[in-house]
Amino acid sequence: MNASDDESDRAREGSSDATPGGLPDLRRPGELAFTLFLVVASGILLWQAYDIAGFRRLSSPGAIPMAATGAMLLTALLVLWKTARKPLTTDESLRVAVFPGPVVLMALMLVGYGLLLKPLGFLPTSALFLFIAIKLLSGRSLLFSLGISLLALAVIWLVFRMVFTVLMPAGIFPEAEMVQFFRTLLAGAR
Amino acid sequence: MSALMDFLTVFTQPQLLLLVAIGTFAGIYVGAIPGLSVTMAVSILISFTFSWQVYPAISLMIGIYMGGVYGGSRTAILLNIPGAPSAIATALDGFPMAQRGEAGQAIGITTVMSFFGGLVGIVVLALAAPMLAGWAIRFQPRDYMLLALLGILLVGSLSSGSLLKGIFAGALGIAVGAVGMDPLTFTPRLTFDQPLLRSGINFVAVMIGLFGVSEVLLQLHHIKTPAVRQTISRIVPSWSTIRRHLPLSLQSSGIGVVIGALPGTGGDIAALMAYDHAKRVTKKPTRPFGKGAIEGLVAPEAANNAAVGGAFVPMMTLGIPGDAVTAIMIGALFIHGLNPGPMLMVDNPHMFWFIVGALFSANIFMLIFGLTGIRLFVKIVEIPRAVLIPMILLLSIVGAYAVNNSISDVYWMLGFGVFGYFMRLYGYPLGPVILGVILSRLLDDNWRRAIISVREDPVRFFNGVFSSPLSTVLLVSVILIFVSQTPLWRMAKARLFGARNA
Repeated sequence: MNASDDESDRAREGSSDATPGGLPDLRRPGELAFTLFLVVASGILLWQAYDIAGFRRLSSPGAIPMAATGAMLLTALLVLWKTARKPLTTDESLRVAVFPGPVVLMALMLVGYGLLLKPLGFLPTSALFLFIAIKLLSGRSLLFSLGISLLALAVIWLVFRMVFTVLMPAGIFPEAEMVQFFRTLLAGAR
Repeated sequence: MSALMDFLTVFTQPQLLLLVAIGTFAGIYVGAIPGLSVTMAVSILISFTFSWQVYPAISLMIGIYMGGVYGGSRTAILLNIPGAPSAIATALDGFPMAQRGEAGQAIGITTVMSFFGGLVGIVVLALAAPMLAGWAIRFQPRDYMLLALLGILLVGSLSSGSLLKGIFAGALGIAVGAVGMDPLTFTPRLTFDQPLLRSGINFVAVMIGLFGVSEVLLQLHHIKTPAVRQTISRIVPSWSTIRRHLPLSLQSSGIGVVIGALPGTGGDIAALMAYDHAKRVTKKPTRPFGKGAIEGLVAPEAANNAAVGGAFVPMMTLGIPGDAVTAIMIGALFIHGLNPGPMLMVDNPHMFWFIVGALFSANIFMLIFGLTGIRLFVKIVEIPRAVLIPMILLLSIVGAYAVNNSISDVYWMLGFGVFGYFMRLYGYPLGPVILGVILSRLLDDNWRRAIISVREDPVRFFNGVFSSPLSTVLLVSVILIFVSQTPLWRMAKARLFGARNA
């Protein structure tokens, strides 16, 4: 019973392009609002695309953007028309199907990550992010969460910083000094 | 005879062979990690290998390329996150198979079919390069444009959902790809007068957002359900399974080589096209497509690796890149004082045969590493979701940041992640968005070139289309795919065959 519930829930959520989710005959909670958003956004984009060069020439820089945004507006309107006529599902709520606790939590944490990345730097922000996320999602002990998050961070940092030499914002952590320290250590060993 | 010696260069020098092996191994993991793309790895390698000789540099890059195209399939199967764009189609049936606990079988068949496809690609590159190039040279701008449209529409028709939503997604992708300064006239497009938008929206950020973050957000719905334990019982597929799918893999490899040989279009489009082809020709799939059909793995995986060989055809014969990676390799050859183009084959045939040899050995290494290292790899999915989800999010952030070292790319990635989450909830396919973004530039350039060449006269444009068999075929295919998805087709079919079926 439980398994079949899970199965039907997954079918509604787009797991792949071949099975993009949604329901053919019913409207999911929030679907109408999302479709309305798409219509308005497409409209604004079409207006912006018209602004590029108007209807001057078929080869103008605005031709393809206008065709694309026009197709967006047209299809969004057709989808809106179809969606509005479908009855709402009765077995799910906006709170559970669209905005369950963990999703809202992680979305907020991602926003927080983006805000803190520049001032705090990559390592402290990521450590904080991993720790809080793992602690809240797993519900395991503080020590477990701390250990796992630091281990995960160490691996990610090693791969990106050392192998791919990706430079993340350093912030308050003396990252460059640390790398230099290890380099001198290794050079000294030779 | 001299060609054979050049072909064997890589096998006679252990150092080169080792570099190909390292490259292939690294490529598999680079391809598998979402956000780390082959394109990115190869471009970084150019700066690493700047001071190297040309053969070692090319050996390493070819290894990464071959391994990376294959590696993307692993995360596609195990996590439903294509590690590389060429694995988008692989996730469609690979992930459902993993959910059933058949991850080992899925990876095994993917590996063998990738090897097979790669082999076909290399053989075609070696045998038919001049012939194929002679055919591709006749492509007109309008043909490229039609091909791009065809590609986007194909993903729309791929979806089991509404075609309207598929077209919306494709059009959105084209619009996103058009954001920024127009490369021809330097007019700002869809920038809302924001300086930030002038350089455009990074497509890697869009891809990581749509396929990484949105998937993770959806996975949070099921945070309580235990991770699917992937039982990897048998990896090497049985001979009968391989033999059964051999005809399809041969056809798919053919599609892969042709798409790969077309300038600009690489393994990603080849894989999607082959998937669509498999969907249409397979009368009795092992399971319905999208629910774990083996055919849905065979086709894209044979095709995307066949496209690697294909992509070298225009690169070696015309100096036109077959895809993004070969574009970077043209840059690498340039740095090393070689000028890829029609004269390279004449002046420096060693280079061509060396590349064929390196590709061949990379293909063999891919098979070896693919069939042996899986148990270790699969451990990733046995990590509990509560740990895996924050890690994937962090990887996505680093990946999006790393492309341009820019925080705004991280915001784009997160924004598209949330948007993709809603798209998934309400039945919009995500593949067309990415395809639209990738092909936007190609579509735009070639539309304008085509329409300028007929002095902006639509009548002359269509006259031109119908005077060329190639353009006609392409246009008719676009229309057919479009019509076959509308009620019109069903009505026509019912009228034609209705009496017999009723």
